[in-house]
Parts: sequence; C-alpha cells; structure tokens
Amino acid sequence: MSVPTELRARIEADYEPVRPLPAPRVRAISLLPLAALALLAAPTFFNVRSDAERIGWLLTWGASLGQVALGFIVITAALRESIPGRAWSTAALAAWIVIPFVLLTAITFTTSELSQISLQRGWWLVGLVCVGGSAATALPIVALANVLAARAYPTRPAIAGLLLGVGAGLMADAGWRLFCHFGEPSHVLTAHVGGLVLAALSSAALAIRLKPDTTSESLGGVRL
Amino acid sequence: MADPFDSLKTRHAGLQLAQDEGLRLRELMRAYQSGRVEAFDELYAALAPALRRYLLSHARDAARADDLVQETFLQLHRARHTYDAAYPVTPWAMAIARHVRLMDRRTQSRRPWAPEDVTELVLPVRGEAAAYAERTDVRRALGHVEASRRAAIIQHHLLGWSFKEIAAKAGIAETAAKLRSSRGMAQLRALLKGPEKARKPQKAQMAQRAHKP
Repeated sequence: MSVPTELRARIEADYEPVRPLPAPRVRAISLLPLAALALLAAPTFFNVRSDAERIGWLLTWGASLGQVALGFIVITAALRESIPGRAWSTAALAAWIVIPFVLLTAITFTTSELSQISLQRGWWLVGLVCVGGSAATALPIVALANVLAARAYPTRPAIAGLLLGVGAGLMADAGWRLFCHFGEPSHVLTAHVGGLVLAALSSAALAIRLKPDTTSESLGGVRL
Repeated sequence: MADPFDSLKTRHAGLQLAQDEGLRLRELMRAYQSGRVEAFDELYAALAPALRRYLLSHARDAARADDLVQETFLQLHRARHTYDAAYPVTPWAMAIARHVRLMDRRTQSRRPWAPEDVTELVLPVRGEAAAYAERTDVRRALGHVEASRRAAIIQHHLLGWSFKEIAAKAGIAETAAKLRSSRGMAQLRALLKGPEKARKPQKAQMAQRAHKP
C-alpha cells in the first residue's frame, strides 16, 4: 500500500525530528521536589503532630514516607497509562486504586490504636480544614503531573488523570497527617481520604481538559 | 517419509519472520523519530493493511475505513514522540487506531451526518430555502458564501450544532457565531434570489424608509 498524496503532503509539511519521551519513572522524578514540599509544608508551617513521640518514628515519618513512595509509584503508573499501547488492564487499574486506600486504612487503624486523640467538638470545621488542606496541597502536584501526562497521548485521559490525582493525594496527605493529630478513623477516613478523592476527581477533570486535540483540521467532518 | 519436525520447523520459521518484521518496524520508527521522513512510507506499507482490516471490521464501509486509516496515520505522526523503541510498534499503532475509531464513533453518534465537502452535500432543503431554489442551486450558492459563514450555516442549520458548540470549535464568541450564521443566511438568500431579485427588495426598503415621516 502506498501513502495517499494528501496524507504524504500533510506529514511532510509538519515533519521535524522528535526526541522520544523518557520512561514514565524518569518523568515522574520531576515531581519529587513538589512531593518533598508537600511532605514538609504542613509540619513546618504548623507543627508536627503532638502525639508523634507516642506513636513513634515509624508511624509518623516512616508511614508518611511510605505514602510518598506509593504516590510516586501510582503517578508513574498513571504516566505509563497515558502512553498509547501501554494502558493498564481493568484488574491492574482496580489494584492501583484499591492499594492506596488499603494502605491509608491500615495506617489509620494502627495509629489510632496507639494514640486516642479524638475530636470533642468542631468535627465539621476540622474535617473541612483537613479536606481542603490536603486537596490544596495536592493541587500543584496534580497540575504538573497532568501537564506531563498530556505531553504523551492519553487515550483514556480520565483514567490517567484519576490515577495521577490518587498519587498526588497520597503525597499531599503524607504531609497533612504529620500535622493533624486527630487519629480517630472516622475523621481520617472521611476528611483525609475525602481530600484524596477530591484531588483525584479534580485531576480527572483537568486531564480531560488538557487532553490534546486529536481531531484533524476538519470541523465535524466538514472541510473548511 | 515426512519429517516429524516439519510443522515445528515451519512454526519456528514463522515466529522468526514475525520477530524480524517487529525489529524492522522498530528500526523504521526510530528512524522516523530521528528525522528520516522517508521511513514513513515503509511504516505505512507495513502497518496500513492491518490497521485497515481492524478499522474496516468496525466501520463496515471501505471509504470510511480508508478515511480512518489516514486519520490514524496523522495521529501516529502527531504522537510519534510517545513511541518507545523498547516496545513493539504494532500495539502502539493499534492503540492509536482504536482511539481514532472511538473518537469517530463518538462524533458519528453526536452528528450522524457529517459530509466531507460542500459539493457532496445532500441537502435536506427546508423552510425558506425550499421556497427559493432547488437543491443544486442551494448547493451552488452555498459554495459562494464566505467560508466562515458557510461553516456556521452548515454546522447550525444542517448538522444541528448549537451556537455554543460552533463558537467553542471556532474559538469565537457565541454572538459572533450567531452573527456568522445570520449573515451567511442573508448572503445565501441574496445569492439564491440572484443579483436582480436581490436588489429589488433593497430598493423597495429604501423607498419605504424615504416615505416614513
């Protein structure tokens, strides 16, 4: 089969050498400064949680570093998802969504067994602060990660965006949980996980918005 | 006596051929990325038949499948930087073809009727247009309407797009899209009436205005 003349002309008119995209894990590294900022922002500006000594290094910094690491892996998976032909299967996608929530739940219950600081009043207010705080901390990571994903050719932008948001939400909550000492599961699993869900949904919306225009110059099939 | 290993040998040879073809495609794709535009011809020759078969199985229309193959290659060209030479070319190309097919299906379901060219339009002449002329006249006149106005007329009156959709696609304000459509319709009306007929109402209007107190 030979190339149609019109197609050949269009390709030649637009042709220039390109540098192949680096591997997803290499591209995800550019997010690490923002991840470090998200980890350190809340404990630096406010304070490290008051029960840090009681629950120990492993459940404060250790668990948060684990969350950042998992967030990095999920973002790498999302960047892979945005490359044509490298999309994840449904089962793998489900795992990428479920594993972070399992990890968050495990950390929450382990921490709450050691530290019983519960909310006496202002449940809604503290909840809103934690939802808004962790979602806002995730936003810079969401934005940069979506720009990285859009540079590829995401054929399922909503899914790629959702995964990016989950990764960014994990990174943001890693910092937020170092400040918020209300470890009771009802607060963490609604407010902190709520922030992660908000980050994931806003990331999916942003990914759809940033999706490169994949239509040719014709408008609705009409050559203008 | 037949060699009992014949089928195995044939199978092995087939696998070897497929492997060689895969490696050749990777090399071609790498060359295409790095600045050898001629590699596109060879890539097209190697990938087009399989892509066409796949797209034809969904489009069920040879002409439509050919259009989709071209669109797929345009998208392959745009996304060429996303190809990683560590992986085979075919799944990458197939994923893009699948995306093109899905986008096409979405467009078709939203706008079931999307003609390629104004001259190919089968116009459902309706309303006031029907009063003016036959379909061929409308088609001919439409060809003379200014391009952006023609687009607005086709999109709004024939394809059923809202002005908001037209505005978003053209990157203009909604009011500008309305203006294009209404001015285009006025131009079309004038063209259908012909130069003499078009002037008469204008003269009559001017005379009417002159008589007004």
